[in-house]
Amino acid sequence: MGLALSIAERGAGLDREGALDSGAQIEAFLREVEARAYRIAAMNIRDRDEALDIVQDAMIRLVRSYSHRPSEEWRPLFYRILKNRIRDEQRRRTVRSRVLSFFGGTASDEEYDPIAEAPGASSDDPLERATSGDAMQALEQALTELPARQREAFMLRNFEGLDVAQTAVAMGCTEGSVKTHYSRAVHRLREMLAEHGEEQWT
Amino acid sequence: MSDEKDISAFERKTKRVFDESVAGLDAATRSRLTQARYRALEERKSTRSRGWGFTLVPAGTLAATALLAWFMLPQGPADLQVTSVDDLEILLAEEDLEMLGEDLEFYGWLEEQPEFANADDGIG
Repeated sequence: MGLALSIAERGAGLDREGALDSGAQIEAFLREVEARAYRIAAMNIRDRDEALDIVQDAMIRLVRSYSHRPSEEWRPLFYRILKNRIRDEQRRRTVRSRVLSFFGGTASDEEYDPIAEAPGASSDDPLERATSGDAMQALEQALTELPARQREAFMLRNFEGLDVAQTAVAMGCTEGSVKTHYSRAVHRLREMLAEHGEEQWT
Repeated sequence: MSDEKDISAFERKTKRVFDESVAGLDAATRSRLTQARYRALEERKSTRSRGWGFTLVPAGTLAATALLAWFMLPQGPADLQVTSVDDLEILLAEEDLEMLGEDLEFYGWLEEQPEFANADDGIG
């Protein structure tokens, strides 16, 4: 009996040590990604508070559902959660906009794109202005003109540095699709920034 | 080849511009992000403590039940089974229930008898 208790206590002790270790690991991971995740959410949502809520929700969901998974899986899983939350918010806004336009008598048959309809990078928000240089504003504006999948692939591959396999997990598609979306995004962005006379990009 | 170099340079540039915009985040936003991180980590602690609770309570309950059974039933499970079957037979026997009804009538009659009516008065 005593031996069994001793083994159980030792096991619990080791488990607690492992939990502490993994707790420190996941904290370090969240600390590393939080600001970048916020910038991506803010670029997509154009609302500081909403973007912060989305990042917090993504962190909580990762911790709640996937913190027991190997740490190398956290990054693609986190960005998949983040991407889904951003899409949920965009869909919610689309529905809200359609309802408002219906009651306001300005209904349109054209597909509503929440990013294209959102305020541009040259926002009146002082925080937005303070954190965005001219180059970033131009890039953000160009990103709003990309199809959603190309935009996602570009942000995950280029901004976040995910490899093709990780991006495929985050986007929920094949690696081939990631390569196609990313390649098209890069070429289209270069063209747009050149067309708009953004000399610093050429 | 030159186009590939240009593309690589463009990718590096976009990455650098994005990194700079992240580095330029204001203190208020960073503070909110830190709070969000703490909330997520709190969630982890509460999930773990709930997990330990679910693990430990049934284990403790099982151990306590086993100990109780060990001390309360020294004759073993075979006796328990026989006793339970006997009790069940008594409870389910129709004649026993009828006897119980007759006994109640008897106790009611007995209470009404004068020689027993003030029996309590003589005690204590």
